[in-house]
Amino acid sequence: MNVSYIFTAIILIVSLIMQGHSSFDVLRIGGVKPDMTFIAIVYYSYSFGSFYGEATALFSGFFHDSMSNSPLGLLTLPKVIVAFAIGLFGRAVIKSNVLTIIPLVFGASVLKGVITLLLCMIFHEASVSDIAYIILPESFYNALLAIPLFLVFDKIYENELGREGSY
Amino acid sequence: MEFFIRHKAIVTLISSFIFCTVSLSVQSSTFTLSLEGLGSLFLMPFQKSYNFVQKGAQVMWAGFTELDDLREELNQAHVKLQEYEAATEDLTEIRKENERLRLLLGFNEKIVYKSIPAQIISKDPDNWFRTIVINKGSDDGIRPNMPVVAFTGEKKAVVGKIIEVRGSLSRVQPLISPTMKVGVRLQSSRYPGLMEGYSLNSGLCIVDYINKSAFLQKGDHVITSGQGGIFPPGLLVGTIEDSITMDSSAFKQALVRPLIDYNHVEEVFVILKIPDLDLIELIERH
Repeated sequence: MNVSYIFTAIILIVSLIMQGHSSFDVLRIGGVKPDMTFIAIVYYSYSFGSFYGEATALFSGFFHDSMSNSPLGLLTLPKVIVAFAIGLFGRAVIKSNVLTIIPLVFGASVLKGVITLLLCMIFHEASVSDIAYIILPESFYNALLAIPLFLVFDKIYENELGREGSY
Repeated sequence: MEFFIRHKAIVTLISSFIFCTVSLSVQSSTFTLSLEGLGSLFLMPFQKSYNFVQKGAQVMWAGFTELDDLREELNQAHVKLQEYEAATEDLTEIRKENERLRLLLGFNEKIVYKSIPAQIISKDPDNWFRTIVINKGSDDGIRPNMPVVAFTGEKKAVVGKIIEVRGSLSRVQPLISPTMKVGVRLQSSRYPGLMEGYSLNSGLCIVDYINKSAFLQKGDHVITSGQGGIFPPGLLVGTIEDSITMDSSAFKQALVRPLIDYNHVEEVFVILKIPDLDLIELIERH
């Protein structure tokens, strides 16, 4: 399991750098970048349960908050809530294929977006138009990118998934 | 204890919820700020190293592939240099005449500020926030609220202002951020207004409090008014995209597209203008 922790840390750091560095601005479509850290969190929660997803969401969320101009906790809390919700059913209920991954990641991204919007409205600044400008484009983008990323993650965590009997 | 271990997912959720809510409620406290600082401290070396490797690889690759382009650019640069050399004589005459007329009219001397170039290391990783991190900080003399500009073609235009400074890094808040407010003026008609970000991914800003008699035309330039204590007057900001007139309001609004595109800016200049802190405090209080 130690190897998978190291892989998780590497994946999170790489995805945070990819999201932040200007050389990856080619990934932007309509000003929106996919949230690759969030896709990884959804995968961990979906494959290894709520707690693993929540722990990943908590650490990556704090890093995300510290790199971003957001108040500490604003980007962390939505990720933790979504990780908990997805872990409740997970791989045992929803089998892994293209038809399930797309709606799963899309729904999770919309839920994360709505919670972030509410938190922004309470503690920061946001408008309802952000649903059209941020939440929906990001959710579509995440859902599409999730298919190849889930396949890559399945390969990386093949042993762990085999041990848990879900591969 | 067994209860906590058996229900660790719910316990984690509840404790995260409590921690995040408390942190968001006291977001200006030194506790949350130092936690953010720790996070930045951990990730910034990775970002800086990646930036170093990426720039090195880019330079090496350019050495192989861009020789022809460089030769062409050098020729163009020679032609431009000759044009500028010819223009310098005219400009010197105009500057002298301008200074003489200013003196005659009793105008103050125009202050020229120094600026330092900086490279963008990273942009805000989240779509909900829009900030830029540059590779110059307090060690280079940068202070919060200093203006940041960039070049687009031959035009110099505003990018934003410094909001956070560390030793060798600074964070820039761009014009499109909804929390950014800049005193502006319409370049042709000279009417003043207050500009702020419109919506994050629209890439637009909105100028409010424009006199209703002002004639707004698409493509007109908007410049800084110099009245907010941060930006010097006369810096280009953007061009008018559309105007909004409402019967219920005593003022007009204009949608402005900044000349510097947040998504494409790579190099910036920080103007070393000491901000008027008393004026900024006065504006923020109201």
